Amino acid sequence: MRVVVLCSSPFSETGCAVAARLAQAGRIPVGALSLSSWDRQTLLRKVGQWGLGDSIRFARAKVGPTKANRQQIRNTYLQKMLAREGGVFRSMFEVAQHYGFPVKPCADQNSPQAIEQLKQWSPDVGIFTGGNILREATLKQFRLGVLNSHLALLPEIRGMSSPEWSVLQGVPLGITIHIMDAGIDTGPILLRREFAKPPDCDSFPDLRNRMIAAGIDLIVETLAALEAKSVAPTQQTSQPANVRAHDSQYYVMHDRLKALATRRLREMRPSTSRNTADHAGLHNG
Amino acid sequence: MQTSNSVSANSKPAKAARALREALGLIQNPLRIAPLISKIAADSVRPALSPRHLYSYSTSKIPTPDALKSLIGWILRAQRSDGGIAAYYSFLTGYSDSYPEVTGYIIPTLYDFAQMTRDNALISAAEQATQWLYSLQMPSGAFPAGLHNSKNTPQPSVFNTGQILQGLVRAYIEKRSAEALRRAKAAGDWLASVQEPDGAWSGAGAYQGQSHTYYSMVAWALAQLAAESGEKRHAEAAEKNIDWVLTHARPSGWIDGINLQGHPSYLHFVAYLIQGLLECGILRGRNDAVAAAERAAWSLLRKFETHKRLAGTYDTDFKAGQKFACLTGNAQMSCVWLRLFEVTGDSRYLNASLKINDLVKQLLPQNSRPELNGGVAGSHPLWGAYQPMRLIGWGAKFFADALMLEQRILQRPESRATASVKPLDVDPPRFEASPCAS
Repeated sequence: MRVVVLCSSPFSETGCAVAARLAQAGRIPVGALSLSSWDRQTLLRKVGQWGLGDSIRFARAKVGPTKANRQQIRNTYLQKMLAREGGVFRSMFEVAQHYGFPVKPCADQNSPQAIEQLKQWSPDVGIFTGGNILREATLKQFRLGVLNSHLALLPEIRGMSSPEWSVLQGVPLGITIHIMDAGIDTGPILLRREFAKPPDCDSFPDLRNRMIAAGIDLIVETLAALEAKSVAPTQQTSQPANVRAHDSQYYVMHDRLKALATRRLREMRPSTSRNTADHAGLHNG
Repeated sequence: MQTSNSVSANSKPAKAARALREALGLIQNPLRIAPLISKIAADSVRPALSPRHLYSYSTSKIPTPDALKSLIGWILRAQRSDGGIAAYYSFLTGYSDSYPEVTGYIIPTLYDFAQMTRDNALISAAEQATQWLYSLQMPSGAFPAGLHNSKNTPQPSVFNTGQILQGLVRAYIEKRSAEALRRAKAAGDWLASVQEPDGAWSGAGAYQGQSHTYYSMVAWALAQLAAESGEKRHAEAAEKNIDWVLTHARPSGWIDGINLQGHPSYLHFVAYLIQGLLECGILRGRNDAVAAAERAAWSLLRKFETHKRLAGTYDTDFKAGQKFACLTGNAQMSCVWLRLFEVTGDSRYLNASLKINDLVKQLLPQNSRPELNGGVAGSHPLWGAYQPMRLIGWGAKFFADALMLEQRILQRPESRATASVKPLDVDPPRFEASPCAS
């Protein structure tokens, strides 16, 4: 199966971890299509998300002197996937060099140049770890589609801040692997698993990091199932979006509500049953 | 807010004459130049400092109680010596004359804040405003259109009478004064008497002589009166108007018939329509009205969350028009979303309100001249198409309403007005089939 990894930056830890994990599972990607890192928009977004201090530390870890920074990873639950002899993979270029596949930076994953590159790779499946909202012309370059690991159960919680909204709305935590379409998290579902809150997890950044790591394992599992034809996409029911009761899209959560969701997360009884990995509490949902 | 009943007031020559008159105001009082330049500079620079991306929303460090205090302070400073409240403070010409319509519906806001803070000065301000309105009521029971200006012959106005009725009803609730109820009933009777058989208001008392669906605000006032007067004709008039408004609803959620000539459908008017329909629907137990209001409000919520802002004007089916922000409309939509949170329990409404409140809060002038501090601009940037170069009284009123509602919901106090608030500790219902009005 020919797999392409799509990522928001060559320094995306999730993108690197997906590529490395696939390679470790014997599925070396045919290529990685990455957005360039140094545009103003990306830098501002990261500074906005992480704050200036963390952004500088991240940049130092990724492009600073190798010896001083080899062990620094933001999402420590990806450590095992990113581990290499003498340290960790710091960029997609390092992963690609190690496993032998090309990385193509682009300004827009929907650009004619990006589509031309995809045509050359002729992929069966794409794994989306970040970047642009993919347009129809890009999506149709993948024979089976582009997979996304959504950090909530679909179709209950679509959109942004999905773990936070799951907790606030009383929906079980979960991860859904689905095929992307033109809507937001509206594509056919391939795999849906509940995620038990680990006992020592008491913040959303930590929960999110664990779920990202668990989602990567699920992607590998889904690819195997797709190859074995043991999984079939299940369409999500289409509903009119202008009727609230039928619209399960959620948006970035305001800090006031996030504080409430965090309180509820801490009050949640941890479930220790059926954990499949040290970072995750996945079980069939 | 409606400034006049006539179409000619919005003609190009009339607008040009107004602009010229305002510009001359700056020459008469050059001290206003510095704050004007400072505000224009701040509004010009702000977009560059507020990058918008998928994960962002505008945040404000101003605590809600502080913002509320400055808003109410602005309203009190805008109260004129006659007891009425100025329509606006212009950066060019200063305060306007007292404005009956705005004075009327600011009265409930003053009483609400007085209840929250136990500040008797606010009660006194509300009483002065009420007394001033009494002096303006016409023998028919109607209230006049436009700014208070003794040079013009007063013309009765349906919309202004409706808005003032809100204040009279609230004055009656607070004081149980027979005079307030008598005057409110007279206003309600007049509104019922000039209503068309189909439930609309048009003709001489209507803005530009035309019927408008945003007169659902009048229906809301009549429903408030009916709840106090217990008189069937007021309730029937309210519901008849709502029935007429509902005939204009489109599948997209958009409701036609705002029907303004000479200017576009500013968000302020779209929000009036939704708010009037929602509140009247809640008071009258009309689920069809609440559902129609919710459909429109949800469409705007999706737009706000996707684009991180609401447009200044909208066209049929919520097609966004001009890009400036109509801050009053933002505040009104916050009120609508917060009320819908109370009605449906869906936290997405609360989430959107918290964000839009932060957005408007950060635009309140602070540490400036007293007439500016806490004022809500007609447009952001200041030179946008809606009430340019002005801080407007109804903007401060709706934003104060929104922040008080936000506080009540987040603090969960026990009060009559918030009896239907679902406590946040209880998970709200999800994916319910239809909203229910209390």
